[in-house]
Amino acid sequence: MERFLKIFAEPLGKRINSVIHSLGHWSLFLFESLAWLPRKPYRMGNLLRQMEFIGVKSTPIIILTGVFVGAVFALQTGKSFAMFNAETLVGATIGLSLTREIGPVFTALMVTARACSAMAAELGTMRVTEQIDALDTMAVSPIHYLVVPRMIATTLMTPLLTAIFDLIGVIGAYFVGIKLLEISEGAFLDKLYYYVDIRDFFGGLIKAAFFGFFISVISCYSGFTAKGGAEGVGRSTTRAVVASSVVVLITDYFLTTWILEYFSRPTV
Amino acid sequence: MIKLVDVHKNFAGQKVLNGINLQIRKGEITVIIGTSGVGKSVLLKHMIGLLRPDRGKVFIAGVDLGTLSSPALVEMRKKFGMLFQGAALFDSLTVFENVAFPLVEHSNLTVEKIRERVMEKLDLVGLHDVDKKMPSELSGGMKKRVGLARAIILEPEVILYDEPTTGLDPIMTDSVDNLILAMQQRLKITSVVISHDIKSTFDIADQIAMMHEGKIIEAGAPEIFRASKNPVVAKFIGT
Repeated sequence: MERFLKIFAEPLGKRINSVIHSLGHWSLFLFESLAWLPRKPYRMGNLLRQMEFIGVKSTPIIILTGVFVGAVFALQTGKSFAMFNAETLVGATIGLSLTREIGPVFTALMVTARACSAMAAELGTMRVTEQIDALDTMAVSPIHYLVVPRMIATTLMTPLLTAIFDLIGVIGAYFVGIKLLEISEGAFLDKLYYYVDIRDFFGGLIKAAFFGFFISVISCYSGFTAKGGAEGVGRSTTRAVVASSVVVLITDYFLTTWILEYFSRPTV
Repeated sequence: MIKLVDVHKNFAGQKVLNGINLQIRKGEITVIIGTSGVGKSVLLKHMIGLLRPDRGKVFIAGVDLGTLSSPALVEMRKKFGMLFQGAALFDSLTVFENVAFPLVEHSNLTVEKIRERVMEKLDLVGLHDVDKKMPSELSGGMKKRVGLARAIILEPEVILYDEPTTGLDPIMTDSVDNLILAMQQRLKITSVVISHDIKSTFDIADQIAMMHEGKIIEAGAPEIFRASKNPVVAKFIGT
């Protein structure tokens, strides 16, 4: 029994303790970030630089992934729906899936991979080289100076990138569906317009804004808690990417439940 | 000005500060000495609230740091300047932007006035024509001097120096010592200096405190220190 406790129960207890401790610490970080949000000075330069980095510079990768996701989705649904003579529903299916689900989730994952990993690495490096402490000593809150602009920029830019992803995804699907699978253009577009409502599109954007908020806070927190030099920065970056991706997929379920209840058309 | 009362700090079960009691008097230069890894930098970080004690209290001008909220702590830090051991320059900003940073954040000076002040401080630490360089283009000693210029740019009430002369040549060491003295004499700035350099310590200190095994084992004026009977102190200062 004693051996069991030593080998199994003790490490498990320590692990649970550490997870609860991290969650508590993360919640305090989140609370502090929100508390600093409305405070002056508003550093517009910092905010615009972050918006450029997270939004503008992520656009090419969003376009590239969006076009291929739409294309492969059209290929799969086109071939599958052909078994039931329902190819005309390809446009509507892709439109609904992209705006409600695939657009926001894929965009959040791409932003995590491209921008949030860089965010965690940059802040992690600043932490281990005492640059964050230096901000503190100069009476500048590092959360106000570093976290708030990143949090606002990611929350604003993720929905915008999602809108681009949705549009480009539909274009990719259109070309594969119409040109390769020879689905009737009229039926493709007609069903797309009929079934996809503006509320589906905006529901997806709201979801994307929540994703943007969560992934930015997680990534900044990972960077802020980095320790132990280059290896520690590497670990914090990995932690940021894994935790953000998992949180996107888990919160997606709860947000979808809420959005389907309040934003979608009752008929669809 | 700064008072530490029974300050304890552990890191991963290892006792670093084990009941520190120390008083830093206003307008004086206090030098903290001790062997490497004894916890001098940890002690310095407690004075500005970068680290919070596990037990004990830190008072700044009579205010307990432990009672301050995050924004109040930020406000209190406007009284401080700090030079870090590794300079801690922002690597995404140029030398000029690094030194100007506190002025940009906390003053309403015009761009011309800021430039004038930055160039004056860079000149004071013996740096010329480096204002457009990035920190990665500077040597260790130059980074330290830029960090020093940044620490003194606002001429704060208290400046904390974490090994200001480590990595500098003897001439530069003397000029940094003179600078610390001049800041104290001209502006009555309270200085806390961490140093390994015994000559510098006796050149500039009004008070010396020696750390050993997490405690202050001796504190007093340089004359008292020279006459100390404590064998650890005597061995360290080589008397």
